[in-house]
Amino acid sequence: MSSGSGDQLRLGFLAAVEDSERGVVGGLLITNRFGRPLEFQCTTPVKPNRTQQILYGPTLRPFLLAEVIGRTLVEKVSVKPHLVLVETAELLELRPHVDVPIASLFTQADADEDVGFPLGKQRLMFHGDFAEDRDQIQRRSVEVPDTADLQEPFERIREALAEALKTPMARSA
Amino acid sequence: MSNAAPNASPPDEALIETAHAPLSLDTDVFPAGINGALHRWSRCDAQSTPLVASPAAVAWKPHRPRVVTFGLRFPEAVAFLPPPASKEPSELRPIAPPPPDPEAGVDVPEPKRQVTRLKPPADALSLEDRLFYLLQPPLQTWLAGQELIMPFEPFPYQYEGIAWLFSHSSALLADEMGLGKTMQTITAIRLLVRSGQVRRVLLVCPKPLLPNWQREFRLWAEELPFVVVEGDTDRRKITWTMPGIPVLIANYELLVRDYAAFEDGEFPKFDLVVLDEAQRIKNRDSRTAETARALPRRRSWALTGTPIENRPEELGSLYEYLEVIPPRGTPDLKQLQCLSKQFILRRTKDLVMKDLPPRLDRDEVLELSPAQRAAYDTAEKDGVIHLNEMGDSISVQHVFELVLRLKQITNWDPLTGESAKFDRLEAEMEEIAESGGKAILFSQWTKCIDWLAERMKAYGTLVYHGGVPGKQREPILKQFKEDKNSHLLLMSYGTGAVGLNLQFAGYVFLFDRWWNPAVEDQAINRAHRIGCKSQVIVTRFICKDTIEERIDRVLREKRELFASVLGEGNNTNRSLSLNAAEIFGLFDLKARHGKGVRSIGPEVPAA
Repeated sequence: MSSGSGDQLRLGFLAAVEDSERGVVGGLLITNRFGRPLEFQCTTPVKPNRTQQILYGPTLRPFLLAEVIGRTLVEKVSVKPHLVLVETAELLELRPHVDVPIASLFTQADADEDVGFPLGKQRLMFHGDFAEDRDQIQRRSVEVPDTADLQEPFERIREALAEALKTPMARSA
Repeated sequence: MSNAAPNASPPDEALIETAHAPLSLDTDVFPAGINGALHRWSRCDAQSTPLVASPAAVAWKPHRPRVVTFGLRFPEAVAFLPPPASKEPSELRPIAPPPPDPEAGVDVPEPKRQVTRLKPPADALSLEDRLFYLLQPPLQTWLAGQELIMPFEPFPYQYEGIAWLFSHSSALLADEMGLGKTMQTITAIRLLVRSGQVRRVLLVCPKPLLPNWQREFRLWAEELPFVVVEGDTDRRKITWTMPGIPVLIANYELLVRDYAAFEDGEFPKFDLVVLDEAQRIKNRDSRTAETARALPRRRSWALTGTPIENRPEELGSLYEYLEVIPPRGTPDLKQLQCLSKQFILRRTKDLVMKDLPPRLDRDEVLELSPAQRAAYDTAEKDGVIHLNEMGDSISVQHVFELVLRLKQITNWDPLTGESAKFDRLEAEMEEIAESGGKAILFSQWTKCIDWLAERMKAYGTLVYHGGVPGKQREPILKQFKEDKNSHLLLMSYGTGAVGLNLQFAGYVFLFDRWWNPAVEDQAINRAHRIGCKSQVIVTRFICKDTIEERIDRVLREKRELFASVLGEGNNTNRSLSLNAAEIFGLFDLKARHGKGVRSIGPEVPAA
């Protein structure tokens, strides 16, 4: 890493936006522990063809979001995060394909129960098969302030993706 | 054939003839071709077919479609060392909000958390630029907590101002006086530096305001190093060209002089130039304006408190500096309106009143003018020598006299009439008068009030102090209230009976301070009472490196101690004023003690 922050905690936020015509666009925002952006990667629109739609059926969406978009973004980004956050549990399926811990935010409905791992203002859920993720993040969780709103960067990403969808994506990385 | 004769002979035997009718039908088979086939059996052959045949498979492997990505790296921000833990106590005093009415049973609704997002400016066309702004965290989180320490939370309209400045490379911030242009500018600069957008900033201001800007920088951007351009020519030249300083502060006169001294194209470049009191360059042809326009810069900001949109000619010069119109351009009215919408941000007090607390205090730290400085230093030195010579026969009264004399010099120099406070007052009254506001000024000396009245005639100044005969007092107040051209009322702390109601005056100036903050508060309460709806901005003048600063510090510490022990409130306890020890402590009094000196004066009681 070229930045002088050394081994400070870096968070990744992965979100996707769907456009009916052009497909799905995904974005990964890497921030420092306060939410200040360090790097942003977004994909060109990915539209599955008919064969894929039929053959994958209901597994198409998780496949697209996790394995295609999510994995590409995590691999392509140059500032590597220590933890990638997603909004829905279906994206936890990304975990077996990448090397970095993935955690999903609890939705509002589950928020009443005292489950999940607290980080900032939210609670997190990890992939079932990767229990060591939880311990690894627990050690570093003090670096994230208690008042940090982990939901907020997703809105930023969605705005950015909407903006990116507006422009013709002639430019590529 | 029978021929039976139908005669009636009874036959014995009739003759019946019969004929032979062959009943068999002759058929013949029609010789069609199928005959043969009809006789033939169908042939049955057995043929073996292997059942286990591999079907042709259409191969389709699930594969990851190639996804192209587009990346954006954020510029490396500058990280500063955190300031040392022990520093002087904060220099602003927070004013407690009016206590909620105990009768009303309604809860005060929790203020909605406002979220100010940075919007990309209209002229950011590339996707990278737009994404840069959209991906920044909302200002409130950026400024809260650990990332950037803010001594006080900005008001909502100030958040908007900061965000607006941050995203504009040409900007004219024209908020009404007292709304915090300085703070918004400094915070925007801080954010730009922290996010790596700018590395060198030049701030130009009138000379008397230099200490004020320094103070504000220290308060609002404590980790941002800045250097003031001052000293002799060589030292200034080094300061200009020294690399690695994020913020340089200079005054207009020095800027013009030093710029001319550099060779063409040699003057150091800046990422951002900010002009305070930008009406200084209102005249396009002045050297100041020319220099300002010639400064090599990427962003241009200007600050002013006057309602400048009313003066197209001055606006032209400013717009030229901001590089939004071509050189010598003269925009017409419609173009001016367009430009105003895009490049000017002006909020007035009544507009943002609901965001502001009812009473806003600001300390203006000024530097004494040269003549004042000389007079003050001489008087202080001589005065202290005199006090020291008195040895143990010294009393509070003597010290008091010296203090009073020094305070008078900070008001104005008796010899030359120079006054830093007056210059500042004049500049601010100009802004207030232009915006149609009214101000009350307090001083402890009637002589000072008369002196000011002489010089501030242009603002319809009225005088109200002990020397004014009783009969005239009421009409004076009436005139102040009703006359549109009457913008300033001069009062002394002593006068003013209870019941004076001047709450229409939006501004209060404390030209010099009283010993007792409670008396000051009483004075201010002429214009404002806790719980009243009108809004007032109180400005205290304090001269740097003078007794006023020291008195201010002691009073403030007392007040804070009071507040922390008894809580905020409308207390008029006399013990808030300075006691003897503190008065002595204002000076470094020493007495001769054998060959050396010893400190004298009553001991300050342990807190």
